Amino acid sequence: MTDELAPTWEDVAHRYGRKIYNFAYRLTGNPDDAADLVQEVLLRVRKGLPSYQPGSFDGWLWRITRNAFLDGIRKKKRRPESALPEGDHHALGSSPSPDEVLSSIRLSDDVQSALLKLPYEFREAVVLCDVVGLTYDEIAEATDAPVGTVRSRIHRGRKLLRGMLTWPV
Amino acid sequence: MAGLTFDPDRHGELFSAYLDGQLTPEEVMIVSELLDGDEEAIRDFVALRKVRASLRLLPEFEVPAALLPDGHLGDRLSAYLDGELVTLEHRRVTKHLVDCVECRAELQELDRARIAVRSLPGVETTMTGEIPATPVRHRRRSIVAGGIGAAAAAALLVGLAMGGGDEPVLVLNDLATHHMARASAEPGFAVLPSAIEVVAP
Repeated sequence: MTDELAPTWEDVAHRYGRKIYNFAYRLTGNPDDAADLVQEVLLRVRKGLPSYQPGSFDGWLWRITRNAFLDGIRKKKRRPESALPEGDHHALGSSPSPDEVLSSIRLSDDVQSALLKLPYEFREAVVLCDVVGLTYDEIAEATDAPVGTVRSRIHRGRKLLRGMLTWPV
Repeated sequence: MAGLTFDPDRHGELFSAYLDGQLTPEEVMIVSELLDGDEEAIRDFVALRKVRASLRLLPEFEVPAALLPDGHLGDRLSAYLDGELVTLEHRRVTKHLVDCVECRAELQELDRARIAVRSLPGVETTMTGEIPATPVRHRRRSIVAGGIGAAAAAALLVGLAMGGGDEPVLVLNDLATHHMARASAEPGFAVLPSAIEVVAP
């Protein structure tokens, strides 16, 4: 965001709400946890915006998001290992053919299931990269880790996923 | 770099970063060489590409609408009319009003209501609750006292002079009760402003 005015929290909600929701959904596999995170992040953004210093807005926002997510986990005193949701029935954009839809749902369920088996640091890096679409630099800023560590986590996460997933020939 | 042999542990990370466009030019050269005929490297690369693609093709969920603000100005409109918004917020609200028909209409309605309420005569009662026979002065805040925000709002309303629309209907039970009591006590006393229709409770 390079607007001369700092964004309002409403701007942030509309622009990033879906990304934050999907970030949490893919990390936890749980829509309720994802909704809780969106609310918590927007609250923190509202409180934090007055003291926000122009810079990397994405880095700032995703650091808030990540901290809110980890705080939520600490509060619940459990790692994010929730059960899978019931399919992707309210997902956006599905393939037209019923077979393709079924296959895509199965595959996305498989991928989600595999994601939940990854160690947290790898899962977080992979989700921020492949689901949220952040660059390695932005992930490094959000997770407070060196870029080299981010690169290694993303690769190791994908490599573990590769061992868990099978594709139809 | 002739004779470079693929090492999955050492080079796999380069493949991942290559797929993400995060390599230096020198590292890209290494990846190119590894993929130039080394079958094991190619298999590893293709498998990583599939994993990455399957992650990126995960369906995106819509955030529940209830979690997001409706995007309109809500209670900031009243503060805007009263000149209570600080400069940046005032600019944001003005910017939003230029683009949003709904908020412009709401602002116009609020301003009519505000003017109407301020036009109502003040009512004073005696200690016994009787309404005095002599009219009291209207307690109306001057536009100057209203501050820059109110003046700006008035200017904006002139600029926004849109056609028609229903007159606002306000429920002003307490004010109306006082007003009608006053009117009945004083024949000829001013009727309610035409913009307001008092709705019975």
